[in-house]
Amino acid sequence: MSELERLRQAMRATERPDAVLDLDTVLRQGRRLRTRRRVAGAGAATLATGLAAVVVVAVGTSGPRDLAPTEHPPPVAVAPPSVGASPWAEKSPGSTPPPTAGRDEPPPKPLGQFVDSGVRHGADRRIYYFVPVSLPAAPKVTIGLAAGRQSPDGSLTTDLLVNDVEGADRRAGFHQIGYDESSSTAPVPTFGYFVGPAQQITGTVDGRQVHARLARWSLDKQVVIFWFEPAVLTPGDRLDGIIARDATGRRL
Amino acid sequence: MARGDAEFVEFAKAASARLVHAAFLMTGDHHQAEDAAQTALVRTYASWSRVHDDDAYGYARRTLVNHLVDGWRRPMREYPTDEVPEQRRDDVADDVATRRWLITILGALSPRERAIVVLRYYFDLPEAQVARELAVSVGTVKSTSSRALEKLRTAAPRTADERARR
Repeated sequence: MSELERLRQAMRATERPDAVLDLDTVLRQGRRLRTRRRVAGAGAATLATGLAAVVVVAVGTSGPRDLAPTEHPPPVAVAPPSVGASPWAEKSPGSTPPPTAGRDEPPPKPLGQFVDSGVRHGADRRIYYFVPVSLPAAPKVTIGLAAGRQSPDGSLTTDLLVNDVEGADRRAGFHQIGYDESSSTAPVPTFGYFVGPAQQITGTVDGRQVHARLARWSLDKQVVIFWFEPAVLTPGDRLDGIIARDATGRRL
Repeated sequence: MARGDAEFVEFAKAASARLVHAAFLMTGDHHQAEDAAQTALVRTYASWSRVHDDDAYGYARRTLVNHLVDGWRRPMREYPTDEVPEQRRDDVADDVATRRWLITILGALSPRERAIVVLRYYFDLPEAQVARELAVSVGTVKSTSSRALEKLRTAAPRTADERARR
């Protein structure tokens, strides 16, 4: 018998048909998980300031692999609102008009260029961009990543902003992941940023691998903005894990 | 119990033994294996409405393997010399020896090699499917399988000799 056959046989022969799991616990925990997914971020605090909703979510010290849903309302800070110059790149496709404040409240001033996700909400397009934030308790946190929509007339609506509330915003590795919280008509595709030479970012949800789309931030090429298209990851669904790899496939 | 729940319980009862055993082959630890299988079933149940008509077993298997590979922190160290099942076994000592041999050779493999060996040779999945489930290339599956089998060949003679002496 070859080693391979012996291996196959040994793997089957040592099976224990009497393995019993606590299915009541499985059902209970499964229901809880299902509820958490449906009511994604039920405890998250949201500041609705006119058209700008600013959500600041705490980053745990356990690192980016621990992606358990937030159980308690996170601390909240407000990005300084002001209107900035056009963040669109000159080589940006099409003749995109600069963003303008659409209503009474101006959106946070974008830093650098917008990233067009390619996702559309009717005529609006889903974009990501950094904005300045100010947190007295975390002086090394000066930027947050926003998910917004830009309408054809150039007006900008900020839906969600995530930023660190401790440590440094340029720390190598993953930072806070932004999940859709509102289940609105324009759900926010899951997004975030990674600091480092990431060429591929892969999330895991329910045992399924989902690949993110990436774009480097115009003001700091070490900062990689990523998002998951709604077709591969339903907005609001929590990732079980996420990893980044460099150009050689090495895990970062 | 809702109809969906009843279907899930039936599925879980049928799938538990194989999921636990696969996890055991990947970890060498019964308790860790049961925890991992339970986690896989929890996640499968949470998504039951969209997976039960599809390939529920494949879904649970993928969840299990990814959960173990993602969370891997330690090598296999424990040897399963306890709790040998009594049914279907004529020779308990033989079972212990087989299990020990299996864990010894699997323990010589890296977590990814172990996952590939378990998916290829325990679940009998084709290389392309193993590649998809682990998000690696088919070439990686082939080369890793080859390396793993080479390790197996170097480990096998000694244990075969031990068996011959018994």
